[in-house]
Amino acid sequence: MSDELDQILSEKDEIVPSSGFVQGVMDAVQREAAAPAPIPFPWKHALPGLAISAVAFISLLVVGIESFSSGTRTASVTPALPPSWVSIFGTSKVQDAGWIAVALVLSFVSIKISMHFAQRES
Amino acid sequence: MSAVEDQADAEQVLAGETAAFEGIVRRWQRPIVNLAYRFCQDRGRAEEMAQEAFLRAYRSLSQWRKEAIFSTWLFALATRMFCSELRRVPARMVSLGDVAELRDQGAADGGLEDQDRERVVRRSVVALPARYREAIILFYFHEMDVAAAAQSLGLPEGTVKARLSRGRELLRSKLSTLLGAPAGEGTLVRRGVP
Repeated sequence: MSDELDQILSEKDEIVPSSGFVQGVMDAVQREAAAPAPIPFPWKHALPGLAISAVAFISLLVVGIESFSSGTRTASVTPALPPSWVSIFGTSKVQDAGWIAVALVLSFVSIKISMHFAQRES
Repeated sequence: MSAVEDQADAEQVLAGETAAFEGIVRRWQRPIVNLAYRFCQDRGRAEEMAQEAFLRAYRSLSQWRKEAIFSTWLFALATRMFCSELRRVPARMVSLGDVAELRDQGAADGGLEDQDRERVVRRSVVALPARYREAIILFYFHEMDVAAAAQSLGLPEGTVKARLSRGRELLRSKLSTLLGAPAGEGTLVRRGVP
């Protein structure tokens, strides 16, 4: 039986490709070759933004960890916040305003940069 | 000879002469279409799959390291594509349960014709779980050469042998009446296959 199985499965049950097969493949290949190359990600342009974001994120993290470890608690914070959040965001109002200003400036800069590149591309 | 021609054509294509790819397609269309056909048992789909395999070969020609001969690389690429395509959209075929039904019907009618029997066997292969199906298709496509099948599948030879053995056990158990011997009888011993 095994020999029979081998025999059946080894038999060359071949099909012949249709006459237009090669032409079909070559048409697809020519289309592929004629298509414009994919636009690479603009790393050079994106790097400053990414670097600024990374610095901002790390700064926020460092400040958060510092204030958490120093155990500062302020009474002016809303009681709904959990204790760990209170330690991060419950610092003085001047510091809060500073962070808000930084966030706004970063948003503004990123929007300006995006618009600048968008105008240049068009 | 074809290895030299393949290399020359590949170099021309990489140099920007797209038309040189036609030589590669002409030389390999038949084996690639037939390999696809073994996977899906459908002529139209086999040609579509083969066309996609050639297109992928064209796109990734620069990744061909000339340590392996071109045909080995092309078969490995096509095999990976056919396997994933068949896993994504399985071939329209009879299930192993239906095979048993066909087999019993054939027995009741006084036996199946040779052609029908072959068709049932081939469809039974397509109905096998993917890992066994792929090993069996590649093994017989490469004329019972385990090393070539393993190379196309990108698997160690031992793994391919184990899958072949288990796949054929499954086939034997489903086709025992059809092939005229009790299940489990006989073991394939060819080119080092258990």
